[in-house]
Amino acid sequence: MAEEPIKVGIISCAGEEIPEGTISRLAVRRVLEHLRPGQTVSICLPLFLAGNEGEREFARNFSTITIDGCDKRCAQWGTEKYSGPVNAAFVVTEILKDAPPLSGARSGRNLTEADLAAVDLVAAQLAEALDQAAGTYTGSQPAAAGASSVCGCAVGLPSGAIQVNGKTVEIAGLPLIFQQCQEDGLAADSPDTPARLLAVVRVYHAVDDSEEQAYAAALVEAYRTSLASDR
Amino acid sequence: MAESANGNVLVIPCSGIGKVHGLMAREATYRVVDDLEPEASDTLCLALLVKGDEEAVKAVRTRPCITIDGCPKLCSYKNVQLAGGTIAESVRVVDAFKGRKGAQPGTATELAGDGWTITDEIAQQIAARVRELCGGKER
Repeated sequence: MAEEPIKVGIISCAGEEIPEGTISRLAVRRVLEHLRPGQTVSICLPLFLAGNEGEREFARNFSTITIDGCDKRCAQWGTEKYSGPVNAAFVVTEILKDAPPLSGARSGRNLTEADLAAVDLVAAQLAEALDQAAGTYTGSQPAAAGASSVCGCAVGLPSGAIQVNGKTVEIAGLPLIFQQCQEDGLAADSPDTPARLLAVVRVYHAVDDSEEQAYAAALVEAYRTSLASDR
Repeated sequence: MAESANGNVLVIPCSGIGKVHGLMAREATYRVVDDLEPEASDTLCLALLVKGDEEAVKAVRTRPCITIDGCPKLCSYKNVQLAGGTIAESVRVVDAFKGRKGAQPGTATELAGDGWTITDEIAQQIAARVRELCGGKER
Protein backbone atom coordinates (compact mmCIF):
# COMPACT_ATOMS: atom_id res chain seq x y z
CA MET A 1 0.00 0.00 0.00
CA ALA A 2 1.04 3.58 -0.46
CA GLU A 3 2.71 5.32 2.44
CA GLU A 4 1.26 8.70 1.50
CA PRO A 5 -2.25 9.54 0.35
CA ILE A 6 -2.68 9.10 -3.38
CA LYS A 7 -3.38 12.52 -4.84
CA VAL A 8 -3.01 12.20 -8.57
CA GLY A 9 -4.24 9.71 -11.13
CA ILE A 10 -2.53 9.19 -14.47
CA ILE A 11 -4.78 8.06 -17.28
CA SER A 12 -2.77 6.57 -20.08
CA CYS A 13 -3.77 6.01 -23.64
CA ALA A 14 -4.14 2.29 -24.28
CA GLY A 15 -2.66 2.66 -27.74
CA GLU A 16 -2.32 -1.03 -28.51
CA GLU A 17 -2.11 -0.27 -32.18
CA ILE A 18 0.75 2.21 -32.22
CA PRO A 19 4.33 2.29 -30.89
CA GLU A 20 3.55 5.51 -29.01
CA GLY A 21 0.98 3.56 -26.99
CA THR A 22 3.75 1.32 -25.72
CA ILE A 23 5.87 4.36 -24.89
CA SER A 24 3.04 5.98 -22.93
CA ARG A 25 2.31 2.81 -21.03
CA LEU A 26 5.96 2.25 -20.10
CA ALA A 27 6.39 5.90 -19.11
CA VAL A 28 3.44 5.62 -16.73
CA ARG A 29 4.88 2.45 -15.23
CA ARG A 30 8.21 4.23 -14.77
CA VAL A 31 6.52 7.04 -12.87
CA LEU A 32 4.53 4.59 -10.74
CA GLU A 33 7.47 2.39 -9.86
CA HIS A 34 10.56 4.56 -9.93
CA LEU A 35 10.03 8.30 -10.23
CA ARG A 36 7.08 8.88 -7.90
CA PRO A 37 6.32 5.59 -6.16
CA GLY A 38 3.30 5.69 -3.90
CA GLN A 39 2.17 9.10 -5.08
CA THR A 40 0.01 8.19 -8.04
CA VAL A 41 -2.17 5.50 -9.54
CA SER A 42 -2.91 4.57 -13.10
CA ILE A 43 -6.42 4.12 -14.35
CA CYS A 44 -7.43 1.59 -16.97
CA LEU A 45 -8.78 3.74 -19.81
CA PRO A 46 -11.26 1.40 -21.52
CA LEU A 47 -12.71 0.52 -18.14
CA PHE A 48 -13.00 4.22 -17.38
CA LEU A 49 -14.58 5.01 -20.75
CA ALA A 50 -16.96 2.08 -20.49
CA GLY A 51 -18.50 3.61 -17.41
CA ASN A 52 -16.81 2.13 -14.37
CA GLU A 53 -18.01 4.43 -11.62
CA GLY A 54 -15.13 3.64 -9.30
CA GLU A 55 -12.60 4.84 -11.84
CA ARG A 56 -14.64 7.90 -12.80
CA GLU A 57 -15.26 8.82 -9.19
CA PHE A 58 -11.53 8.74 -8.53
CA ALA A 59 -10.92 11.05 -11.49
CA ARG A 60 -13.64 13.43 -10.29
CA ASN A 61 -12.22 13.71 -6.81
CA PHE A 62 -8.51 13.72 -7.46
CA SER A 63 -6.17 15.54 -9.78
CA THR A 64 -5.62 13.82 -13.10
CA ILE A 65 -2.98 13.83 -15.80
CA THR A 66 -3.55 12.25 -19.17
CA ILE A 67 -0.98 10.88 -21.57
CA ASP A 68 -2.01 10.02 -25.11
CA GLY A 69 -0.02 8.28 -27.80
CA CYS A 70 -1.54 10.19 -30.71
CA ASP A 71 -3.57 13.27 -31.46
CA LYS A 72 -6.85 11.40 -31.17
CA ARG A 73 -6.35 12.04 -27.46
CA CYS A 74 -8.67 9.28 -26.22
CA ALA A 75 -7.47 9.61 -22.62
CA GLN A 76 -7.90 13.37 -22.43
CA TRP A 77 -11.23 13.29 -24.25
CA GLY A 78 -12.65 10.58 -22.02
CA THR A 79 -11.46 12.10 -18.78
CA GLU A 80 -12.77 15.56 -19.56
CA LYS A 81 -16.08 14.18 -20.77
CA TYR A 82 -16.78 11.98 -17.78
CA SER A 83 -14.87 13.45 -14.88
CA GLY A 84 -14.03 17.07 -15.65
CA PRO A 85 -10.94 19.08 -16.54
CA VAL A 86 -7.53 17.48 -16.29
CA ASN A 87 -4.53 19.09 -14.61
CA ALA A 88 -2.26 18.35 -17.52
CA ALA A 89 -2.58 16.59 -20.86
CA PHE A 90 0.32 15.22 -22.88
CA VAL A 91 0.68 13.63 -26.28
CA VAL A 92 3.68 11.39 -26.88
CA THR A 93 4.16 12.48 -30.48
CA GLU A 94 4.36 16.12 -29.34
CA ILE A 95 6.81 15.40 -26.52
CA LEU A 96 9.03 13.47 -28.91
CA LYS A 97 8.84 15.81 -31.89
CA ASP A 98 12.50 16.81 -31.56
CA ALA A 99 13.73 13.46 -30.27
CA PRO A 100 15.36 10.70 -32.35
CA PRO A 101 12.73 8.64 -34.20
CA LEU A 102 11.21 5.60 -32.53
CA SER A 103 12.02 2.18 -33.91
CA GLY A 104 8.38 1.43 -34.53
CA ALA A 105 8.40 -1.54 -32.15
CA ARG A 106 5.29 -2.14 -30.09
CA SER A 107 6.42 -5.19 -28.17
CA GLY A 108 8.74 -4.96 -25.20
CA ARG A 109 10.81 -7.66 -26.91
CA ASN A 110 11.93 -5.30 -29.63
CA LEU A 111 12.42 -1.92 -28.00
CA THR A 112 15.62 -0.09 -28.89
CA GLU A 113 17.79 2.38 -26.99
CA ALA A 114 15.95 5.22 -28.74
CA ASP A 115 12.61 3.81 -27.59
CA LEU A 116 13.80 3.53 -24.01
CA ALA A 117 15.19 7.06 -24.10
CA ALA A 118 11.77 8.20 -25.29
CA VAL A 119 10.19 6.46 -22.31
CA ASP A 120 12.55 8.38 -20.02
CA LEU A 121 11.68 11.67 -21.64
CA VAL A 122 7.93 11.14 -21.40
CA ALA A 123 8.17 9.82 -17.85
CA ALA A 124 10.14 12.88 -16.74
CA GLN A 125 7.44 15.19 -18.07
CA LEU A 126 4.75 13.17 -16.34
CA ALA A 127 6.62 13.25 -13.05
CA GLU A 128 7.02 17.01 -13.22
CA ALA A 129 3.34 17.49 -14.02
CA LEU A 130 2.48 15.15 -11.20
CA ASP A 131 4.45 17.25 -8.72
CA GLN A 132 2.70 20.37 -9.91
CA ALA A 133 -0.72 18.74 -9.69
CA ALA A 134 0.02 17.46 -6.20
CA GLY A 135 1.43 20.80 -5.07
CA THR A 136 4.80 19.30 -4.32
CA TYR A 137 6.75 20.68 -7.25
CA THR A 138 10.31 21.39 -6.25
CA GLY A 139 12.18 21.18 -9.53
CA SER A 140 13.28 17.70 -10.46
CA GLN A 141 13.59 16.02 -7.09
CA PRO A 142 12.61 12.36 -7.17
CA ALA A 143 10.37 11.04 -4.44
CA ALA A 144 11.80 9.04 -1.59
CA ALA A 145 12.56 5.51 -2.68
CA GLY A 146 11.04 2.54 -0.96
CA ALA A 147 7.38 3.40 -1.11
CA SER A 148 5.39 0.87 -3.03
CA SER A 149 3.54 1.54 -6.24
CA VAL A 150 -0.17 1.03 -6.15
CA CYS A 151 -2.18 -0.83 -8.71
CA GLY A 152 -4.75 1.63 -9.92
CA CYS A 153 -7.08 -1.08 -11.20
CA ALA A 154 -8.21 -1.71 -7.67
CA VAL A 155 -8.62 1.90 -6.59
CA GLY A 156 -12.25 2.86 -6.18
CA LEU A 157 -13.54 -0.58 -7.02
CA PRO A 158 -16.25 -1.96 -4.77
CA SER A 159 -14.70 -4.45 -2.40
CA GLY A 160 -16.05 -7.33 -0.39
CA ALA A 161 -15.00 -8.84 2.92
CA ILE A 162 -14.39 -12.49 3.68
CA GLN A 163 -13.32 -14.23 6.88
CA VAL A 164 -10.04 -16.10 6.54
CA ASN A 165 -8.71 -17.95 9.57
CA GLY A 166 -10.61 -15.60 11.85
CA LYS A 167 -9.40 -12.45 10.09
CA THR A 168 -11.51 -10.09 8.04
CA VAL A 169 -9.92 -9.66 4.62
CA GLU A 170 -11.03 -7.03 2.11
CA ILE A 171 -10.91 -8.17 -1.51
CA ALA A 172 -11.00 -5.42 -4.13
CA GLY A 173 -13.51 -6.10 -6.88
CA LEU A 174 -15.12 -9.07 -5.13
CA PRO A 175 -18.71 -8.15 -6.08
CA LEU A 176 -17.64 -7.86 -9.73
CA ILE A 177 -15.89 -11.21 -9.56
CA PHE A 178 -18.99 -12.84 -8.12
CA GLN A 179 -21.15 -11.14 -10.72
CA GLN A 180 -18.97 -12.45 -13.52
CA CYS A 181 -18.96 -15.99 -12.10
CA GLN A 182 -22.72 -15.84 -11.71
CA GLU A 183 -23.13 -14.70 -15.31
CA ASP A 184 -20.92 -17.61 -16.35
CA GLY A 185 -23.33 -19.95 -14.55
CA LEU A 186 -20.89 -21.06 -11.87
CA ALA A 187 -22.75 -22.87 -9.08
CA ALA A 188 -21.62 -22.46 -5.48
CA ASP A 189 -21.52 -26.22 -4.93
CA SER A 190 -19.66 -27.10 -8.12
CA PRO A 191 -16.37 -28.93 -7.44
CA ASP A 192 -14.64 -26.39 -9.69
CA THR A 193 -15.82 -23.37 -7.72
CA PRO A 194 -13.13 -23.15 -5.00
CA ALA A 195 -10.27 -23.26 -7.50
CA ARG A 196 -12.02 -20.94 -9.94
CA LEU A 197 -12.77 -18.29 -7.32
CA LEU A 198 -9.30 -18.52 -5.88
CA ALA A 199 -7.66 -18.15 -9.29
CA VAL A 200 -9.71 -15.08 -10.13
CA VAL A 201 -9.22 -13.42 -6.75
CA ARG A 202 -5.47 -13.96 -7.03
CA VAL A 203 -5.43 -11.61 -9.98
CA TYR A 204 -6.18 -8.78 -7.54
CA HIS A 205 -5.05 -10.09 -4.22
CA ALA A 206 -1.94 -11.87 -3.01
CA VAL A 207 -2.77 -15.20 -1.37
CA ASP A 208 -0.09 -17.07 0.49
CA ASP A 209 0.12 -20.74 -0.52
CA SER A 210 -0.35 -21.78 3.11
CA GLU A 211 -3.71 -20.01 3.19
CA GLU A 212 -5.07 -21.28 -0.10
CA GLN A 213 -7.59 -23.66 1.37
CA ALA A 214 -8.86 -21.17 3.91
CA TYR A 215 -9.27 -18.54 1.20
CA ALA A 216 -11.03 -20.97 -1.10
CA ALA A 217 -13.48 -22.01 1.60
CA ALA A 218 -14.18 -18.41 2.60
CA LEU A 219 -14.71 -17.37 -1.01
CA VAL A 220 -17.15 -20.20 -1.68
CA GLU A 221 -19.11 -19.25 1.42
CA ALA A 222 -19.24 -15.59 0.43
CA TYR A 223 -20.18 -16.55 -3.13
CA ARG A 224 -23.00 -18.74 -1.83
CA THR A 225 -24.29 -15.82 0.24
CA SER A 226 -24.02 -13.49 -2.74
CA LEU A 227 -26.01 -15.88 -4.96
CA ALA A 228 -28.68 -16.27 -2.30
CA SER A 229 -29.06 -12.51 -1.84
CA ASP A 230 -29.51 -12.05 -5.61
CA ARG A 231 -32.42 -14.47 -5.77
CA MET B 1 -6.69 2.14 -37.51
CA ALA B 2 -3.57 0.99 -39.25
CA GLU B 3 -4.08 -0.49 -42.67
CA SER B 4 -2.81 -3.99 -43.18
CA ALA B 5 -2.62 -5.96 -46.38
CA ASN B 6 -5.03 -8.75 -45.48
CA GLY B 7 -5.89 -8.03 -41.86
CA ASN B 8 -8.80 -10.44 -41.64
CA VAL B 9 -8.95 -11.13 -37.95
CA LEU B 10 -8.75 -8.47 -35.25
CA VAL B 11 -6.90 -9.45 -32.10
CA ILE B 12 -7.89 -6.99 -29.39
CA PRO B 13 -6.22 -7.07 -25.99
CA CYS B 14 -7.49 -5.40 -22.87
CA SER B 15 -5.55 -2.33 -21.83
CA GLY B 16 -4.84 -3.38 -18.27
CA ILE B 17 -1.92 -1.34 -17.03
CA GLY B 18 -1.81 -2.28 -13.37
CA LYS B 19 -1.03 -5.98 -13.47
CA VAL B 20 1.14 -8.43 -15.33
CA HIS B 21 -1.90 -10.06 -16.92
CA GLY B 22 -2.64 -6.94 -18.97
CA LEU B 23 0.92 -6.85 -20.24
CA MET B 24 0.69 -10.52 -21.18
CA ALA B 25 -2.49 -9.86 -23.15
CA ARG B 26 -0.79 -7.07 -25.02
CA GLU B 27 2.41 -9.01 -25.71
CA ALA B 28 0.48 -12.08 -26.88
CA THR B 29 -1.34 -9.82 -29.32
CA TYR B 30 1.90 -8.43 -30.73
CA ARG B 31 3.34 -11.94 -31.08
CA VAL B 32 0.36 -12.90 -33.22
CA VAL B 33 -0.08 -9.77 -35.33
CA ASP B 34 3.61 -8.95 -35.75
CA ASP B 35 5.22 -12.40 -35.94
CA LEU B 36 2.94 -15.40 -36.21
CA GLU B 37 0.10 -14.23 -38.47
CA PRO B 38 1.00 -10.73 -39.65
CA GLU B 39 -0.99 -10.92 -42.86
CA ALA B 40 -4.06 -12.55 -41.42
CA SER B 41 -4.44 -10.49 -38.29
CA ASP B 42 -4.25 -6.98 -36.95
CA THR B 43 -5.04 -5.14 -33.76
CA LEU B 44 -6.75 -1.90 -32.82
CA CYS B 45 -6.83 0.44 -29.86
CA LEU B 46 -9.51 -0.64 -27.45
CA ALA B 47 -9.94 2.89 -26.09
CA LEU B 48 -10.59 4.19 -29.58
CA LEU B 49 -13.33 1.62 -29.98
CA VAL B 50 -14.86 2.48 -26.63
CA LYS B 51 -14.73 6.14 -27.57
CA GLY B 52 -16.97 5.27 -30.52
CA ASP B 53 -14.52 5.93 -33.36
CA GLU B 54 -16.48 5.13 -36.53
CA GLU B 55 -13.67 3.30 -38.26
CA ALA B 56 -12.94 1.16 -35.22
CA VAL B 57 -16.61 0.30 -34.72
CA LYS B 58 -16.95 -0.62 -38.38
CA ALA B 59 -13.86 -2.81 -38.17
CA VAL B 60 -15.14 -4.92 -35.26
CA ARG B 61 -18.52 -5.27 -36.90
CA THR B 62 -17.15 -6.50 -40.19
CA ARG B 63 -14.22 -8.64 -39.14
CA PRO B 64 -14.00 -11.58 -36.73
CA CYS B 65 -12.52 -10.52 -33.40
CA ILE B 66 -10.47 -12.40 -30.85
CA THR B 67 -10.43 -10.66 -27.49
CA ILE B 68 -7.73 -11.20 -24.87
CA ASP B 69 -8.43 -10.07 -21.33
CA GLY B 70 -6.09 -9.94 -18.39
CA CYS B 71 -8.57 -9.65 -15.56
CA PRO B 72 -12.12 -10.75 -14.79
CA LYS B 73 -13.58 -7.40 -15.76
CA LEU B 74 -13.21 -8.57 -19.36
CA CYS B 75 -12.97 -5.04 -20.76
CA SER B 76 -12.01 -6.16 -24.21
CA TYR B 77 -14.70 -8.81 -24.54
CA LYS B 78 -17.43 -6.58 -23.14
CA ASN B 79 -16.51 -3.52 -25.15
CA VAL B 80 -16.25 -5.37 -28.45
CA GLN B 81 -19.59 -6.92 -27.68
CA LEU B 82 -21.09 -3.52 -26.82
CA ALA B 83 -19.81 -2.10 -30.10
CA GLY B 84 -21.69 -4.81 -31.95
CA GLY B 85 -18.57 -6.76 -32.87
CA THR B 86 -18.40 -10.41 -33.78
CA ILE B 87 -16.35 -12.25 -31.16
CA ALA B 88 -14.96 -15.45 -32.57
CA GLU B 89 -12.97 -16.25 -29.45
CA SER B 90 -12.53 -14.81 -26.00
CA VAL B 91 -9.21 -15.59 -24.33
CA ARG B 92 -8.52 -14.97 -20.66
CA VAL B 93 -4.91 -14.73 -19.57
CA VAL B 94 -5.81 -15.95 -16.09
CA ASP B 95 -6.97 -19.27 -17.57
CA ALA B 96 -3.48 -19.91 -18.89
CA PHE B 97 -2.24 -20.00 -15.30
CA LYS B 98 -4.33 -23.05 -14.45
CA GLY B 99 -2.06 -25.90 -13.48
CA ARG B 100 0.91 -23.55 -13.17
CA LYS B 101 1.07 -23.07 -9.48
CA GLY B 102 4.06 -20.99 -8.50
CA ALA B 103 4.62 -19.52 -11.96
CA GLN B 104 6.46 -16.20 -11.79
CA PRO B 105 5.25 -14.19 -14.78
CA GLY B 106 6.99 -10.93 -13.94
CA THR B 107 5.44 -7.54 -13.36
CA ALA B 108 3.08 -5.13 -15.07
CA THR B 109 6.18 -3.47 -16.52
CA GLU B 110 8.30 -6.41 -17.60
CA LEU B 111 7.70 -10.11 -18.15
CA ALA B 112 9.96 -12.73 -16.64
CA GLY B 113 10.72 -16.14 -18.16
CA ASP B 114 7.45 -17.78 -17.09
CA GLY B 115 5.55 -14.74 -18.30
CA TRP B 116 7.06 -14.93 -21.78
CA THR B 117 6.52 -18.70 -21.94
CA ILE B 118 2.86 -18.44 -21.03
CA THR B 119 2.41 -15.43 -23.31
CA ASP B 120 3.88 -17.34 -26.24
CA GLU B 121 1.57 -20.27 -25.54
CA ILE B 122 -1.42 -17.93 -25.55
CA ALA B 123 -0.16 -16.43 -28.79
CA GLN B 124 0.19 -19.86 -30.41
CA GLN B 125 -3.35 -20.70 -29.37
CA ILE B 126 -4.65 -17.46 -30.86
CA ALA B 127 -2.62 -17.86 -34.04
CA ALA B 128 -4.14 -21.30 -34.54
CA ARG B 129 -7.59 -19.79 -34.16
CA VAL B 130 -6.70 -17.05 -36.63
CA ARG B 131 -5.70 -19.70 -39.18
CA GLU B 132 -8.92 -21.57 -38.52
CA LEU B 133 -10.97 -18.42 -39.04
CA CYS B 134 -9.17 -17.81 -42.29
CA GLY B 135 -10.13 -21.26 -43.49
CA GLY B 136 -6.81 -22.87 -42.72
CA LYS B 137 -5.18 -21.15 -45.66
CA GLU B 138 -1.43 -21.43 -45.88
CA ARG B 139 0.40 -18.16 -45.96
